[in-house]
Amino acid sequence: MKNPVEIKNLYKAYPRRGAWLWGKAEEKTVLRDVTLQVGAREIVGLVGESGCGKTTLAKVLLGLEKYQSGSVQVQGLELKNLSKAGFKKLRRQVQVVFQDPYSSLDPRQTVRQILCEPWDIHGLHKEKNEREKALHSLMRAVGLDPVYLDRWPHEFSGGQRQRIAIARALALEPQLLVADEPVSALDVSVQAQILNLLKDISRTRALGMLFISHDFAVARFLCDRIAVMYQGQILEVAPTEELLQNPQHPYTEALLSAVPVPDPHMQKARQPVAIKTDNKRAASWCPYAPRCRYYAAAQCNRALPPETKTKEHFCACVLLPFQKEKSRYAV
Amino acid sequence: MDAREDTVLSVEELRVSFGSGPDRTEVVRGLSYRLQKGKVLAVVGESGCGKTVHALSLLKLLPPGAEITEGRILYRGKDVLSLSAEALRKLRGAEMSMIFQDPMTSLNPIRTIGSQLVETILAHSTCSKLQAQARAVRLLKKVGIENARQRLNEYPFQFSGGQRQRIMIAMALCLNPSILIADEPTTALDVTIQAQILKLIKELQRQSGMAAVFITHNLAIVADIADEVLVLYGGYCVEQAAVEELFAAPKHPYTRGLLGSLVSLKRKETHLPAIEGYPPAPGTLQAGCPFAPRCPHVWDKCRASLPPLFERQGHKVRCWLVEKDEEPR
Repeated sequence: MKNPVEIKNLYKAYPRRGAWLWGKAEEKTVLRDVTLQVGAREIVGLVGESGCGKTTLAKVLLGLEKYQSGSVQVQGLELKNLSKAGFKKLRRQVQVVFQDPYSSLDPRQTVRQILCEPWDIHGLHKEKNEREKALHSLMRAVGLDPVYLDRWPHEFSGGQRQRIAIARALALEPQLLVADEPVSALDVSVQAQILNLLKDISRTRALGMLFISHDFAVARFLCDRIAVMYQGQILEVAPTEELLQNPQHPYTEALLSAVPVPDPHMQKARQPVAIKTDNKRAASWCPYAPRCRYYAAAQCNRALPPETKTKEHFCACVLLPFQKEKSRYAV
Repeated sequence: MDAREDTVLSVEELRVSFGSGPDRTEVVRGLSYRLQKGKVLAVVGESGCGKTVHALSLLKLLPPGAEITEGRILYRGKDVLSLSAEALRKLRGAEMSMIFQDPMTSLNPIRTIGSQLVETILAHSTCSKLQAQARAVRLLKKVGIENARQRLNEYPFQFSGGQRQRIMIAMALCLNPSILIADEPTTALDVTIQAQILKLIKELQRQSGMAAVFITHNLAIVADIADEVLVLYGGYCVEQAAVEELFAAPKHPYTRGLLGSLVSLKRKETHLPAIEGYPPAPGTLQAGCPFAPRCPHVWDKCRASLPPLFERQGHKVRCWLVEKDEEPR
């Protein structure tokens, strides 16, 4: 069976005007040769630093950004030249939960209005009793009491708002949920609740998910596979445990070493990999080369096909993969 | 050495409230601690627990409407709250400096970062402008900004969020303060940069004996940098202990819940033991223990009266369980 989401060789650039108003328009590449699949019921984590293109990829998947080349297919629907009707169709397949529940809910709509809007647009649950029933089951699914339906967003705490945002995303019963850092704006004690909720609904509703995060620990809890992104390129993809226990790309290794662990004895003994900030090297094929501690000009400046260890583990590094000993930073 | 001589900052029974009359809301409710030279105290808590307000009051930077109603803040024995405006100006930045949480709004957008750094240095020392510039360049390099000399002439909008935060950190450190107050300094940063910044702060501590009050909600950072931890909930200190002790044997149900609900990089869990409910909004606290509505061990006494801060071998806990556990059965 075909995967619900197939992204192949996706290339996307934003136009950027030169220094002068009449200057030549330049392009800034934000996604380069991205290939990624999300299977049915699969949760794929996308991990990377800010500005690496995680959110842009999410926007492309939601049909909110156009792209230059490559192909993105959601349930067989190609997003390249999406018509208005196609866009509406896409919305019933893919929904989104944003990072900040304070700015992603309309302050002038009650919870009821927020949840009913998608149904109004798509002409669902028109009958009053049926709609009421659907609303109640939606609220209960995200762990909220239906008595809150007529309250306003400002009456809720961050965690509750994020539950409302999740309920809104589930209203159209999509196949895929794009969650863009859904817990990073929440209090620590509430994060766990929302993560549990996301895990439960993905299971009970057979939902696929693209989970964007900068936090490996959170990604480990939730994801089946993790993709590591750097400057618009996916450097490593592997099943979660494989990636964490056997990281191949030097960048994955550096990222893992920088994540602090909540244990004073262990943490104080750890030394993060030093990441170079020297950018003066010759332009090379690999985006990570200027900061890489294994950099070797002869290999890194040529375009070579990345090696793939197994069918599941992909690593875009020509130098090291699958040769070096087990990383000290593997967990 | 006498421990008292080493104390650079001591806070005694600090109480801060907003508003007046019937609308008065107390957000910090009797906070006391001592900070020794070269040590890091981490203040942990969720939004609305009073951690930022407490930090602002250390430098008397509270917004209008907020007021320190009780307590003393002593910097090397001097009462900060009774200092004149001029003495306070000298204290801020040079002796005690602060890193704010939001890097987007803490820099002046219409002045170059060079002029803002140099201004800070010149305001407190007698060096020449050139010397100040050289120092600014050194600092920017230290916090990992490349081409520091050229970038002095750039404006805040030309830097990314992470870079702006690092500039803020450079500015806070440029006068070698003896106390650094850092309010969620790395929350907006990537883990790689966060690791760099924490390393830098640890280095400075070793070199110059700088002490720090580190406000955060990230327990992993606490494990990395802190010597002592103070857990705030609803404006009260609910637990205070040395960092190893707190992580090994947390006594307060809230601390236990926090540590339990952490997602770990070290093991794969199927379900997280989350704390039920939500943190209280400021001003909505009832009588009794602030954590009672969410606590799994709650009983009548918790709802009726606020537990005092019990101290057992240097480990302070505000919970009736301590007393209950000690009763002979």
